[in-house]
This record gives sequence, C-alpha cells and structure tokens, in this order.
Amino acid sequence: MRYALCAMRHASGVFMFVDFFYLLKKSGIPVSPTSFLRLQKALGMGLINSLDDFYTGARAILVKSERYFDLYDQVFAHQFKGAEFKEPDEVELSEMARALLDEWLKDPKGLAEALGIKEEDLLKLSPDELIKYFLDRLKEQTEAHHGGSKWIGTGGTSPVGHSGYHPGGMRVGGVSRNKSAVKVAMDRRYRDYSQQGPMTPSQMGEALKRLRNMVPFGPKDKVNIDKTIYETMRNAGEIEIVFDRSLKDRLKVILAIDNGGWSMEPYIELVQTLFNYARAQFKDLKTFFFHNTIYDYLWEDPPRRSKPLPVDELVRLDPETRFIIVGDASMAPYELMATDGSIHIEERSGRPSYERLKFIAKTFPHAVWINPKLAEEWPYTRSIHHIQEIFPMFELTLDGLEKAVHHIMRKN
Amino acid sequence: MHKETQKKGFTGASKYVLDDELARIVNISMALEMPLLLKGEPGTGKTMLAHAIAEAFDMRLIVLNVKSSMKLIDALYQYDTLTRLNDSRFGDSKRDVSNIEEYIRMGKIGQGFVSDERVVLLIDEIDKADTDFQDDMLDVLDQMEFDIIEIDKTIKAKNRPVIIITSNAKKDLSDPFLGRCNFHHIAFPEPDMMRRIVQIHFADIDRELLDSAVKTFYRLREIRGIEKKPATRELINWIRALKADPDFRVKDLIKGEVPFLGVLFKKSPDYVVAQNAAARFRV
Repeated sequence: MRYALCAMRHASGVFMFVDFFYLLKKSGIPVSPTSFLRLQKALGMGLINSLDDFYTGARAILVKSERYFDLYDQVFAHQFKGAEFKEPDEVELSEMARALLDEWLKDPKGLAEALGIKEEDLLKLSPDELIKYFLDRLKEQTEAHHGGSKWIGTGGTSPVGHSGYHPGGMRVGGVSRNKSAVKVAMDRRYRDYSQQGPMTPSQMGEALKRLRNMVPFGPKDKVNIDKTIYETMRNAGEIEIVFDRSLKDRLKVILAIDNGGWSMEPYIELVQTLFNYARAQFKDLKTFFFHNTIYDYLWEDPPRRSKPLPVDELVRLDPETRFIIVGDASMAPYELMATDGSIHIEERSGRPSYERLKFIAKTFPHAVWINPKLAEEWPYTRSIHHIQEIFPMFELTLDGLEKAVHHIMRKN
Repeated sequence: MHKETQKKGFTGASKYVLDDELARIVNISMALEMPLLLKGEPGTGKTMLAHAIAEAFDMRLIVLNVKSSMKLIDALYQYDTLTRLNDSRFGDSKRDVSNIEEYIRMGKIGQGFVSDERVVLLIDEIDKADTDFQDDMLDVLDQMEFDIIEIDKTIKAKNRPVIIITSNAKKDLSDPFLGRCNFHHIAFPEPDMMRRIVQIHFADIDRELLDSAVKTFYRLREIRGIEKKPATRELINWIRALKADPDFRVKDLIKGEVPFLGVLFKKSPDYVVAQNAAARFRV
C-alpha cells in the first residue's frame, strides 16, 4: 500500500500531471506555469500522498477562483475517472519518473542533459516553454513506444503505456480512496459559483456591491483632518492642509424592465430586488415596465394596464437621470422597425419603436441596456443588433453589471 | 506538546470543526510557506480558521483588519509625528527627539515580522482595500521585508509568519496577487456539518431541537430575494435564544412556527421578506 502511494505520486506527478495541467489550461482555467512548478514542489516534498490530497492540493495551488472550481471538477473527473490500482510491472517506471522529477526540481544541468539541450538554452526557456518542450518529448516518446530508445536515461520503456497518450488512457495508482476524490469531483459542488450563465439570486449581495459604485464625486473641497494633522506634524508644525473629494448629490435612476415574455420571467424579480435594495443610495428610483420594446408608453404597474406614462413625458425629467433598460431585446424585427410594430394593438401610434428608443437615448445621455442573454448569443438576433446601435448593451452577469455601472458613471 | 501537533499537521481546534479538505490545504500551504487565500460567504468560518490554527500550534495570532481607506504603510509601521512634535516643544519625556526610531510604531504586519516566535498573521477582508494595497502587500509578504523610509532601515522578518488572507468578495483579486497565494473557497457547510458545528457549541443539545432547528435554518436560507442570508453565527445565536425561552417547544418548529426571526434576519427588508415566507411554512 505504501508503495502504491509512492508510485502514484511520482508516476502521475510527472506524466499524468503534465497532461492534467494542459487539459485545465485548454478548458479555460488560467493556470500559470509558476503554480505548476509549485505543485511539483509540493509533490516532491511528499505533501501529496493520495488522490484525495492531489485533488485538493492541486486545486488550492493551481485554481485561484471558485468560479473555476466547477470546471476543475469536470476536468478532474474526466482525467481520473479510470484511475485504478497500479500494476506491479509499472514499478520500475515510477522509479524513473521519480528520478526525472528530482532532476526537474533540483538540477537544471541534469535536466538539460536529459532533455538533450544545453544548460544555457534551458535557462533561456520560460517555465511555460520548458513545460512545452518537456511535453513534446513526452509525445515523441509515446509515439516511439515499442522498442524505442530515445527516452530519458532508461532503456526506453515508456511510462505511458497501455492505451496511448490521451487522458483516460493512462493508469494511475492510488489507494482505494481515490474513488472518493473523483466522486467528489463528479458531484460538481461548485456549479453555482461557475462563471457561466446569468446572475443568480445567490449573487445578489455581490451585484449590490457593483451598484454601490453609482455614487458621483464632486471637487476636492473637503478638509481631511487626520491627514492634515499628520502632514502638518511632518512639516514640523507648518500648516499643510489636505483636501478630499466631497460627495455630490445622489443619482436619479429609472429602471425599465421588459416583463413581457416568459424568457424574462426569471430575471424580473431579481433585478427589481437588486435595485430596491440599492434604493437608499439613490435620490430617486422609478421602475417601469414594457413588453419586448418601448413604444409610446411605459407602465408603472407590472400588468401594464392602469398606470401608463407617455414616453414623450420623459423629456420633463432630469436629463442627468440614469436610464437603465433590462430586457432580452429579442423580438421579430418588425416589432422594432415597423410603424405599427407593437403586438398590442392599442399601442400603435405610427412611430416605430426604433425611433422611440433613439428618443430615449437622446433624452438621457447616461443610458444602458442590460441583457440577461449572454453576449455570445447576441450576434444571432437581429433586433439585438439594432438596439445595440442605440444603447450600449451589457450582460446581466456580475462582470456585465460592473461594466454597465462603470459606463453609466462616466462624465460624458 | 505543541511540537507534536506541528509534526502531525493541523487537525482542528477546540471550537472549530475542520473538514479534511481544508486541513489538507492548510498543511500544504504551511509546508510551502505560501499565504492561503480563503474566500466564501460570511459565516463560513474563514476568520475562525486563523484563530484555530493559532490555537492548535500555540502560536500568537496577529489580526490585520483591512479597511477601505487603509494604506499599506499603516499595516507596516507608523511614524508618530504628533508625539515627536509634542516632545520637541515641551521636552518632558524620556524619549530622544533626535532619534526618529523611537517614534516608529510597528503596524500589524510589522509586528509579525519583528516577533521572535513564528506567528499566525490573519489579514482579514482584503477585498475592502484597493488593488494597489493588495499587490504592494503581497510584495512585502513575498520578500518578507520592508523599508522604514524615515530612518532608512530595513525590517526583515525573523520568522516567516503563517499567513491567512480572507476575502468576502466574489470578484477575483488581481492576477499577481492570486499567483502568490494558495486558494480555497469555503462552501457553506452542509446540514450534516452544521449539526456537528452546533453540537460543538451546545454539547448538551437535544437531538430533536438540533434536527428541527437546522432543518428550519436551511429552509429559511432558501428564501429568495434575501440580501444577507443568515449564516452560522446567526444560527448559533438563534439556538441560544430558543434554548433561553422557557415557552419555546420544539414542536412549534416542526409545526412551522419560527420565533425570533430577527436574530436570523438583521436587515429590515430581509426580515419582512422572511416573515412572509415563514408564514407559509405553517401547515
């Protein structure tokens, strides 16, 4: 058993692991070569003794955000799913792997020799290039497997046997507990934190923090007493006054939400709750509703029946108001472009919605459109394309919200 | 005694329930001498972990509570100009005014560096400070030294502290920062884990109360549209309140009544939302 642990550490440490590293990188997790080498160090120090250790250890060292934990779980499960007990005839291979690992960690000269390049050349390689070089040799060896003699320092037996080079093909040893690490990975506990997909209610608090940036600043005209005292003391008593920026009047915000189609259903409550919580920091927050796009009226009541506000009336409001539209902007092109585009007959006025939106954008220079559809889907919908000509559009994700707030707070 | 613990690795402390995963990460980080960055929603025990490590290894704990206005220099040292000016004008202290060093006070990181023993340095809520602070601080922690400009002196760490950094933000810290830390995200405890945590705080807790309180708690956490979900600390306080109330019967919880909702939900809009939702629990 003890031996199996050891073997696993070294065999997988080098070969399986290089592969794993690249798979992580390919799947979009930003893993850095430095952290890769650090994991090697941890392996070399004997800190990682089972697949369980490897699962948590590698994650702590390589993956720096819980948003990637889900992806990590998937890659891990994929890579180590077939993991089983090590066969005895692979013992010598692990010995070789151990030698190799030590070389890598402690002896650049030895490594240079082993890889067949000059030491100076080796030192010129960035860690990234070094790994790539290493990996290339590994591939080469895989191809020349049977009877090959090219591999580093041993008679040419490759550790990468049985079913070829690709993930899943290699065997790893481990203790029987290894199943649990894979199982843990397959549980995908971190799916909720994943970066993909629009905002969820669990991200509410975080989204609020983004909105808190919606605070305008005035000129530097407020005395910072603490700093003034400190600077004055440093000046040996000569008065030195330090100024800070003062807060300006708070913002007025209009929130216009598309509550028409079922596609918007999950987001209406979310967005409304979000802005209502942030309400205290605004001077004024008005919420209106519309279906698909805006024609002649916005509605104060969600069923869009009893409290209409003619869009023309908007000119009477403060043009400094921040106008935020939330909608998927997905509709038939005629709804946007045709003079009688509205699907509600009573709203048909002879002016296309496209013109009404332009009017709003002109009235409120600080306006954005927030879309719960992910940006990668936008190019496939024509109406989104048209609306983007009028309003800057952002995703309803944490990042998108941050960008939208940044945009809306710009001076001009 | 504590030598022995150190050899065996970190296994937990008296009031802290440690899961295997986190224990491994703590041990790896300590062995690699890397700062450990912990994220997770409030109440998952990020700060408690540093306390537990300090307790388990019998090390001194130094806490740096990061504030939004904080400059890195505040965490390193302070030059007490006010006292010096006072001394120079009135001259009634034993300090030597011409020796600036006597007016330098170590900040939290500075204290960790000059300490003769290895300490646990907890840098709490790093996300509150700006990016410059974060990056500069990691430089200092990486090199384990900083300069005191006023007296042109370099302070080197006598012992590399065990560094635990916590962050509440879901937003990522900068890449150079992350590159120098190990990372773990503490998920909110599963009900089973939560039961163990509660049992540590209330050794004599009645089984029925424990089960139904934890069950109700998780149900309340599911309510949508809450800004600040109740966390472990709220649950502990809530159970304390339930136990203290002579009129309280466990059956009430099972029936769907939730007393002392205000212990769990501390923001008034949250409280209203929770109250409405809890009313629907009743069957």
